Amino acid sequence: MTSTPQRFPWPRLIGLALWLVLLTLFSLWMGAQVPRWLPVSASSAAPLVDGLFGFETAVATFVFVGVVSVMVWVVLFNRAEKYDISDAEPIEGNTALEITWTVIPLVLVMGIAFYTIQVNREIGLIGPMDHSHAPASASSAAGASMPGGEVQVIARQWSWEFRYPVAGVSSTELHMPIDRRLGLQLESEDVIHGFYVPAFRLKQQVIPGRSITLFITPTRAGRYRLRDSEYSGTWFAANQADVVVESEEAYQDWLRRASRLPLQPGLSEASREYAQQLSGDRPSGYATIAPAPPPLVNVPGSNTLPHDG
Amino acid sequence: MTSTAGVDTRILKAPHPVPGAPDNWKRFFSFNTDAKVIGIQYIVTALFFLLVGGLLAMIMRGELITPEADLVDRTVYNALYTMHGTIMLFLFIFPVLNGLNNLLIPCMIGAPDMAFPKLNAAAFWMVPVFGVILMASFLVPGGPASSGWWSYPPVSLQNPLGHLINGEALWILAVALSGISSIMGAVNFVTTILRMRAPGMTLGRMPIFCWTALSAQTIQLIGLPALTGGAVMLLFDLAVGTSFYRPEGGGDPVLYQHFFWFYSHPAVYVIILPVFGVFSELFPVYARKPLFGYPFVAGASLVIVGLSLIVWVHHMFPSGVPQWMRDVFMVTTMLIAVPTGIKVFAWLATLWGGKLRLNTAMLFALGGLFNFVFAGVTGIMLATVPVDIHVNNTYFVVGHFHYVIYGAATMGVYAAIYHWFPKFTGHMYYEGLGKLHFLLTFVGTNLNFFPMHPLGLMGMPRRVSSYDPEFAFWNVIASLGAFLLGVSIIPFLLNLVSSWVRGPKSPANPWKAIGLEWLLPSPPPAENFEDHVPTVISAPYGYGTGRPLVEHQDEIERALLKT
Amino acid sequence: MTISPPLDSTSSPQGPSPAGHSAEHANHSLTGFIIFLCSESVIFLAFFTGYAVLKLSALQWLPPGVEGLEWRSPLLYTVVLVSSSGTVALAERCLSKGQLWGFRAFWLLSMAMGAVFLYGQAIEWRSLSFGITSGSFGSCFYLLTGFHGLHVLSGILLMALMLQRSFRPANYAAGEQGVIATSLFWHFVDVIWVMLFLLLYAWS
Repeated sequence: MTSTPQRFPWPRLIGLALWLVLLTLFSLWMGAQVPRWLPVSASSAAPLVDGLFGFETAVATFVFVGVVSVMVWVVLFNRAEKYDISDAEPIEGNTALEITWTVIPLVLVMGIAFYTIQVNREIGLIGPMDHSHAPASASSAAGASMPGGEVQVIARQWSWEFRYPVAGVSSTELHMPIDRRLGLQLESEDVIHGFYVPAFRLKQQVIPGRSITLFITPTRAGRYRLRDSEYSGTWFAANQADVVVESEEAYQDWLRRASRLPLQPGLSEASREYAQQLSGDRPSGYATIAPAPPPLVNVPGSNTLPHDG
Repeated sequence: MTSTAGVDTRILKAPHPVPGAPDNWKRFFSFNTDAKVIGIQYIVTALFFLLVGGLLAMIMRGELITPEADLVDRTVYNALYTMHGTIMLFLFIFPVLNGLNNLLIPCMIGAPDMAFPKLNAAAFWMVPVFGVILMASFLVPGGPASSGWWSYPPVSLQNPLGHLINGEALWILAVALSGISSIMGAVNFVTTILRMRAPGMTLGRMPIFCWTALSAQTIQLIGLPALTGGAVMLLFDLAVGTSFYRPEGGGDPVLYQHFFWFYSHPAVYVIILPVFGVFSELFPVYARKPLFGYPFVAGASLVIVGLSLIVWVHHMFPSGVPQWMRDVFMVTTMLIAVPTGIKVFAWLATLWGGKLRLNTAMLFALGGLFNFVFAGVTGIMLATVPVDIHVNNTYFVVGHFHYVIYGAATMGVYAAIYHWFPKFTGHMYYEGLGKLHFLLTFVGTNLNFFPMHPLGLMGMPRRVSSYDPEFAFWNVIASLGAFLLGVSIIPFLLNLVSSWVRGPKSPANPWKAIGLEWLLPSPPPAENFEDHVPTVISAPYGYGTGRPLVEHQDEIERALLKT
Repeated sequence: MTISPPLDSTSSPQGPSPAGHSAEHANHSLTGFIIFLCSESVIFLAFFTGYAVLKLSALQWLPPGVEGLEWRSPLLYTVVLVSSSGTVALAERCLSKGQLWGFRAFWLLSMAMGAVFLYGQAIEWRSLSFGITSGSFGSCFYLLTGFHGLHVLSGILLMALMLQRSFRPANYAAGEQGVIATSLFWHFVDVIWVMLFLLLYAWS
């Protein structure tokens, strides 16, 4: 509108472009850091989850740092002078901009959603595919009907028990063969628990009255932590078990040896602490449900050995 | 300054005591029906419970500073985290926001009071009542509720001592009363906004805070009854032995999760929407620019209301919901990023090229926006099913929502308190103390809640009273941040009390802000504009446009200056 | 000294005085009440959904020994309750025409029909062989009918209040928002019952 021709703001544009390039590089670098923040990946689902998370981290870094750099810019360069009480230039809106920043995020999140649905499908094929069965009439039907499940996982307040009905073995340490899709049949005898092995990146609520089959393909030998991930009462935090992933031969060997061992009380941190409280060796607090007695198993295993994730 | 003792003479004329009038502090302890008194009652009550909830949080962080369960017994820890969540939500953040609603909505739309002043007072007085019930639950045999603020059955139905009056029952009672109080408040706010606007104050000229309050209260009206219904069934299961959720009688524990999250996810928007409103009010004032794209910012609130009601299953991805449900609810959850993004970009565009004044209120708003954007990007991660399956129920989620509820919402509430403090107390606050409060809060928040993200990624479940030693490093940092947050409250309270008692007198419009509330004297008289309700003639936030907001603005301003 | 009101020299021509709120407040009450009713309907919606989910996922829905609910006499009471919506409407019509006694008569009749419905409900409860703790079905049945019954009772009490108010001289001269609100509530309760009847008795 004024007569002086506006010069095209080349320096600003170049600066912006440079900043965007830097930002993109930084975001990509952040995305690549993801494996360092996560536990080792030990299941076939884990690399897919990690890949998705790395992608999201890169996008998130770009958005977050982008927004924050605008904030830093205005705080540094758009400050009012000390005694300046005048108003700034009144710009009330710009429809083109509004459309831009509606459409771009929309496309972006739909892209992420599309990518995620792909990952979901793929994990569904190789990983969990949880089937929920009608209420298991009782856990007394142990091993009687195992639709797809090779291992029966029984969650209690507060211990985990793993039964291998074919081999006739029970344990408080979960053994799994490497590189084979294993079905776990999750059942709870009291409240909702959560079956969560961070190294597998898989989690499933264990719901009383339902029998849920979870398929897992471990891909890395080692000892991992199984944690209860759904708050289940007083000793929720102590309701952990170890998962041992080993070669098929070692797994079969373990089953064979275990089946010959006599039954003995399995691991239950909760029962141990509760007994200490009853005998006065440990202070107690509010009233609590008493822990279920430790399950009788062939192999208690360990939950104190160093674990890989 | 001819009138007595510098007090607005209209205050002395007022039929009943009002804020700012000398020597009537007793009104704050009475069944007062003035929205401005009720607003302050809400805020002060909420700040008291912020201290209680914060104290519980610091004991929790004291326990978590070492891996073993050694500071308190596990049962005590479980009760602490349950009560921390319950108190912070139902006794701090909802009441404090209702306090802001009470102070701001009538003044901003030019109404003399709320539509139903007695209902308003009754809704407030329920807050201390259920607060006492909740506190009393610490004293009943068996201790307070300890099944988390979700209170998922069957664990919440386990009643170790078998008493009819137990912590869980009192908890449900308190939450139900809170729900009734909130519904009473919501009916009041919505009616007030719909029916009591000043002449010329069309919906399209309404300040964004009122838009967001209207949106948030609509969510309350739709969502809360569902939670109430779910809670009634829970109470029956607990106290009478019915089988809504008990699996042994054919009940479905997952059903409760649907009821719970149908309300409790939208509840997050009930909390954050008014804070969006606060940001939208403050950025134009302190950047001296109009709000960028007012109609889009207002409309985005309504879109968020609609979407917020169809996303709840994203809290239940690992609960055994079918794959199609996971996909659908992931997409709806993702969509919320769009209206939210519209708001964030609008604020950035408002700040861009402005003339920023970084006083305490503005610093808190900027800090809140910073934290909110961080929470937003982690929110997108949580929406995607496979990532959520890994981090669900871990500290990643805890970090995410504390960034929302403390980092963004509570800092936004602080911003609002500082910004409107002069208006409703008639005194200026001390900038130095305010900035110290901001610094401690901002550093403390990030120190406390950032470490929770790596912890969650590593696989540390939330709600644990003990943890494996590999999580120790980040937990120590988080605990230090929590203690810093505890310290940060001290300059805040010091500032509030000392400023109100002896802070410099505030003019009617200390920030040169545009809005009906800033035409009123500080503090406003009982019926706000009384017989002289102005006629609004232009859109809000006309900074730099030279447009007057109301008819005869000069006369009004001159007349108000005379007092 | 008192300050001069800011606008008195240049008072705007159209300026509706918002100070006269007493007349406006009644109007607000109706708005508020409608908002409340919408909100209240969500509780029932929650209960209905819960009922449907539990019923659809149940292996054995009815308690052992229960064949199904007897629906004939409940249907009769349903007809009574639903027709009371009509008598309420007639009462309102009388009121708008200024026939105060006609209003009272139809109003009282509606209250009586509501009471008959509650009586029928009580009879049914006593005759049932299952209780509230007899599995999910029993829980749902008693919760739904009980919660609805409470609403019928509140409706009758509200109507009693309105009836009593009608005896105050000239109270209803300018129309009565309370009567409109109460009749809205009554229609709401009736509609809910029709849905409940379909869910509990017709859907098997």
